[in-house]
Amino acid sequence: MRHVISVLLQNEVGALTRMTGLFSTRGYNIDSLNVAPTDDSTVSRVTLVIRGSDSAIAQLNTQLAKLVDVVNIHDMTLGDHFERELAILKLKLATGGHARVLALAKKYDAEILDDAQNSCTVQLTGRLAEIDAFVEEAGQIGKIAAVARSGSVTVSKGEVTLSSYVRHHRLTG
Amino acid sequence: MSKEAPADREDRHPLAGTRMSGADIVIQILADENVHTIFGYSGGAILPTFDAVFRYNDKHRRADGKSPIPLIVPANEQGAGFMAAGYARASGKVGVLMVTSGPGATNTVTPIRDCMADSVPIVVICGQVPVHAIGTDAFQEAPVAAIMGAVAKHIFLITDPTRLEATVRTAFELARTGRPGPVVIDIPKDIQNWEGEFAGFGSLPLPGYRHRLQAVVENHLTDDACERFYTMLAESERPLIYAGGGVINGNATKAMRHFASAYGIPVATTLMALGASDTKHPLSLHMLGMHGMAFANYAVEDCDLLIAIGARFDDRVAGDPARFAPNAKNIAQFDIDVAEIGKVKSVNWHHVGILKRDLDDLLAYGQRIKFEKEFSVWHKEIAGLKEKHCLNYDRESDRIQPYAVIEEINRLTDGKAIISTGVGQHQMWAAQYFDFREPRLWLTSGSMGTMGFGLPAAIGAQVANPDRLVIDIDGDGSIRMNIGELETATTYGLPIKVIVLNNFGDGMVRQWQKLYYKGRMSGSDKSLRRKDFVKTAEADGFKYAVKLDRKEDLPGVIREFIEFSGPAFLEVIIDPDAGVYPMVGPGLSYAKMITGDFIVSRDQPADDKPGPGEMF
Repeated sequence: MRHVISVLLQNEVGALTRMTGLFSTRGYNIDSLNVAPTDDSTVSRVTLVIRGSDSAIAQLNTQLAKLVDVVNIHDMTLGDHFERELAILKLKLATGGHARVLALAKKYDAEILDDAQNSCTVQLTGRLAEIDAFVEEAGQIGKIAAVARSGSVTVSKGEVTLSSYVRHHRLTG
Repeated sequence: MSKEAPADREDRHPLAGTRMSGADIVIQILADENVHTIFGYSGGAILPTFDAVFRYNDKHRRADGKSPIPLIVPANEQGAGFMAAGYARASGKVGVLMVTSGPGATNTVTPIRDCMADSVPIVVICGQVPVHAIGTDAFQEAPVAAIMGAVAKHIFLITDPTRLEATVRTAFELARTGRPGPVVIDIPKDIQNWEGEFAGFGSLPLPGYRHRLQAVVENHLTDDACERFYTMLAESERPLIYAGGGVINGNATKAMRHFASAYGIPVATTLMALGASDTKHPLSLHMLGMHGMAFANYAVEDCDLLIAIGARFDDRVAGDPARFAPNAKNIAQFDIDVAEIGKVKSVNWHHVGILKRDLDDLLAYGQRIKFEKEFSVWHKEIAGLKEKHCLNYDRESDRIQPYAVIEEINRLTDGKAIISTGVGQHQMWAAQYFDFREPRLWLTSGSMGTMGFGLPAAIGAQVANPDRLVIDIDGDGSIRMNIGELETATTYGLPIKVIVLNNFGDGMVRQWQKLYYKGRMSGSDKSLRRKDFVKTAEADGFKYAVKLDRKEDLPGVIREFIEFSGPAFLEVIIDPDAGVYPMVGPGLSYAKMITGDFIVSRDQPADDKPGPGEMF
């Protein structure tokens, strides 16, 4: 099963390496990884997408939670959450391609960032499935010269925040 | 930096406000942490801190002329790492290792990983090239943060000198709290030379770590959890405690023994927990697992309630987790690390907390509800298993049997000496044939299985316990790995006893080659090697260095070796065909245990070949 893990990580030397290293040492591939600053300058938010059985991912998360630099961690797929991704596409276009790109952009509510003579750069924000579909359709219009995707970022629905998940492992049971 | 300056003048550090170099700050914190020995090897990038050690010792020399923080300098940094580990394992205190950058640091990777795997608290201080030179492929530069980040409990690379003091203090806290482990501090040379004000207080905030630790510390056993536990115990006729290294690391031996003896629950320990129960106690089943006692493994097969305490169902214990303790209706698990709960085998009851406290609380609850249960039938069965399926070997052989050597030493030491080992057959023979009356007497590389551990670990243990008998039981393969440390023992006048059970090869590897590779002894035969161990020991300053190769000399030589007042070395030429039995093949259940020709087996194993060769 696909799991989206959100982590608040202290901005310390090697913290990200230790975190991502844990995935490879325990035999997991990361589908996508997003790291960016938060409102707290000492902490970054990391979003990872990985695949594995629920129990294996739960075990992986308890191992991640042992890393000293990990402030908080939650498997977002265990509850309701928003998941979005940003993609920037550069297309090489033949004659007549521009009109089709404009139509595609309109259909997906994408933004044209740059419209040159033989190429076009488009930005789209949305759900993963939308991005995947958009990339596929764009590939039919012109030759894809570059794809830059942010990887998933998530927040949970409602008032709950990552730092409000106190413990998700039962210490007694 | 967390924690306010102490308002009370009495709490103020006497040196607060003093200007010091970074190196002096490091040594001052070691002194504040009651560090009594540094194991380390100098080099370019750590010179300022070695100099600070010299100056500190010079300034604070004790009345008897001795240094308050002496340095023990090894032949190789790996040796220093295992000395610090031996010191920590034998004393329960944090061991300190200090090395230079580059090769000095990379030589410690093995002991650091070894400490991580066996949860041993050490602090490693590494010199690093100056901050401006990091990442330039400078002389003796290695990516210590990246390397150690993958093997240690934590690594700090100091790039801001104002964080040095808090970081060094925090490193000790991290090493010993929660599940203990090795913590590395990588200190660039310019930070060691930096001068600033010593605050005398403060540590790093570590919000995530402290929050999680606090949750564990505050997680007391509730009455409800106790009630469910005693319900399981009441329903049980054959309860068994499976004690792991956590009992020793958590200083919970007394609490566990009290609990076990209050209700007459037999105790089997893992390799790491030898000494958690007194192996001479009638309800002690000594060691379980791949090379555990046959009777201990049978008891695991028979038990209907398994109580795992600080144990993690490692593959050397539960090779086939689904068939481990197959008759246990309930499994309870105590640990300090939530990640170990149900990691290998799911359990019906668990508690994550402080072992010593939780076991005391569990017993107190039982006494409060006046819990009583008679396990006399089980006790009788245990006594029968212990009598019938005891260890044994070819006592009539003309060759010296390794088991006989250990038995003879054990007769003299009565389970009260500190024993360290290398890794392989000799390690298992020592685990099986020695008695352990107390915790922290048994020092062995359990999880990592590092050959070469025994000699430096014995040195570290002797430093921690100058008046105790410390014996390194080693093999001819293992001792070669760190044989340079023989000289370290004599240099510092440490009266360790080193015994090499020489079977001219890597015996455990040969045992597996006989079982799984049709006897092709690829790379494991050392019969053509030229080393003269006795001459080696003599050359390194051993005044007692003897070779024993006649069976009839065994008792006399063992006695004079053990009773020798200084460092002593004994090579024993043992039967090269001696094997380690019982054996549960890798990946197999205890039902498939083979017991060899001299230990009585309860069942006829279906196959005399213990398991498929692809298992590790």
